[in-house]
Amino acid sequence: MRALDGVSLEVRRGEVYGLLGPNGSGKTTLIRMLVGLVAPDAGEVTVLGTRMPDLEVLGRIGYMTQAAALYTDLSVEENVRFFAAVTGAEKNVAEAIEIVELSDRRDSVVATLSGGMRQRASLACALVHQPQLLLLDEPTVGIDPQLRVQFWEYFRTLTAAGTTIIVSSHVMDEAERCDRLGLIRNGHLLAEGSVDDLRRQAGVDRLEDAFLKLSGGPAE
Amino acid sequence: MNGRRVLAITRRLLQQFRRDHRTLALLFVAPLVILALLGYLLRGGGSAPAVGVVSEDSGPLGGAVATQLLKSSKVSASEMDRPTADDRLRAGTLAGYVLFTADFSLRGRQGVIAPEIHLEGTQPGPAAAVVGAVTAALQGALASTGTRVAPKIVYLHGGSNLDSLDYLGAALIGLIVFFLVFIVTSVSFLRERTQGTLERLMATPLRRAEIVIGYMLGFGLVALVQAVLVLLFTLYVLHIHNEGSVGLIFVLVALLAVGAVNLGIFLSVFARTEFQAVQFIPLVIAPQVLLSGIFFPVTSEPIPLQYLSNVLPLTYAVYGLREVMLKGSDLTTTALQVDLLVGLAFAALVIGLAAATLRRRVA
Ligand SMILES: Nc1ncnc2c1ncn2[C@@H]1O[C@H](COP(=O)(O)OP(=O)(O)OP(=O)(O)O)[C@@H](O)[C@H]1O
Ligand SMILES: [Mg+2]
Repeated sequence: MRALDGVSLEVRRGEVYGLLGPNGSGKTTLIRMLVGLVAPDAGEVTVLGTRMPDLEVLGRIGYMTQAAALYTDLSVEENVRFFAAVTGAEKNVAEAIEIVELSDRRDSVVATLSGGMRQRASLACALVHQPQLLLLDEPTVGIDPQLRVQFWEYFRTLTAAGTTIIVSSHVMDEAERCDRLGLIRNGHLLAEGSVDDLRRQAGVDRLEDAFLKLSGGPAE
Repeated sequence: MNGRRVLAITRRLLQQFRRDHRTLALLFVAPLVILALLGYLLRGGGSAPAVGVVSEDSGPLGGAVATQLLKSSKVSASEMDRPTADDRLRAGTLAGYVLFTADFSLRGRQGVIAPEIHLEGTQPGPAAAVVGAVTAALQGALASTGTRVAPKIVYLHGGSNLDSLDYLGAALIGLIVFFLVFIVTSVSFLRERTQGTLERLMATPLRRAEIVIGYMLGFGLVALVQAVLVLLFTLYVLHIHNEGSVGLIFVLVALLAVGAVNLGIFLSVFARTEFQAVQFIPLVIAPQVLLSGIFFPVTSEPIPLQYLSNVLPLTYAVYGLREVMLKGSDLTTTALQVDLLVGLAFAALVIGLAAATLRRRVA
């Protein structure tokens, strides 16, 4: 089985690139490949102008995993501080916790947080070192609507400052906020382009319909 | 290599320890409880095996030996007649009885001292005590009749003031540190894998060596505190015999701890759950407990097992600790040099193995 097959895509600096696809289509695999956790059998991955894997470049990437990868026996602040220390960014700890609105739960042990709060703590760990490339694997799953809007506003301030964001999702209203989208299914990149491009390609009005049509019917 | 990143890992591990009181208790209290229990078991002055003395001797010698036996502190002897002794031996209330037959004195004068020792037979421990007590009593009695049996015993090391606790304690210090550090590291590193944080670490600029060294420092520090506690307890509370330098003991224990940390990291690859990690205890720990010479000297093992014993790292730690504590060896002693070198080689090997298991799955 090939988790990814013939996928070739380019993401521009300062844009939000959305990876859209049903369960098991290969979104997480693609993101893991970008940080060198999976090696492609063939082909190459270049991040920030350097062929991966490269330790120096990893320091400029922030990776938020699909399932929050946190030390559940440590507090929020201890978790963020740890990931900050690894990249030498301890001075940003308070700010990162502020951004995800966990300042009042700073000293709570992660095991006692709600699912959405864990997701937020995980995001804080990913962006604490102010990476140039932010990889977000379904970042807003379990996050309440108000905070989701705030997150996207924050993502926009980041991209305005030159940060590139790659985000995976299957939520349509989130997909519509991306500059460009890549539609993945069964490891193949089926279509690529802005929301308008995709709607035009499919000849439909709603992105959801375009998604279904371009990916050849409902997910099997 | 970046010291700041290494220390980030170390500090995080210590923070996790600070919040995990149960594990700290396991590491710091359990060894003391085990050793205290062992000390009480071996030195608490348990009841001596009950021994019957049956003297049918028509001469004086039987009575003289009996008198000596009754005074012995190794056994609790009492005089009785033969049918009683047989009954009580069968009932299990005697470990054995000594029979001086009617011609005991007579034959003694002809140069044959032949007491009969009847033993229960299933328990080697009490049996040895009975035989020992009878031998001592014979020596005492013969001395009083003018025939002196006085072997002169010269000890190369330690001597008659060494007991089982001295012998076992020296080795158990190593076993306890090795075992507990191994279990705690392998489970904690396994958690790093299962909760996804290891993968997350692999997506940071952390090098493998930094992770391994960070772990070594974090767990090493805790292991050293544990080693200090265990040493203080064994030396100053249990008064285990020590002729060598405490610093050397510490070096041996530290090497063992470093080995245990890295063995834990390495073996955690082969477990998918904490339950599976616990299954390493019978696989990794039990053979070492049996074969490393803690309870049964390696030189008394069948030859094939000796080969096995000689590749187990704990064997060398046990040798080394006994060299230092019981024989007072120092760095000029070849045997101890070998033990230390093997310890170093083992530590280096498992550090390499641990680092190898952290390889990023990249081209
Ligand atoms: N560690 C693994 N070993 C074997 N197969 C894997 C592994 N991880 C993923 N796969 C397979 O690769 C394919 C793509 O999985 P991937 O996790 O990339 O999907 P995804 O698009 O992220 O799905 P989801 O929306 O559910 O997160 C799936 O068929 C999956 O079973
Ligand atoms: Mg996924």
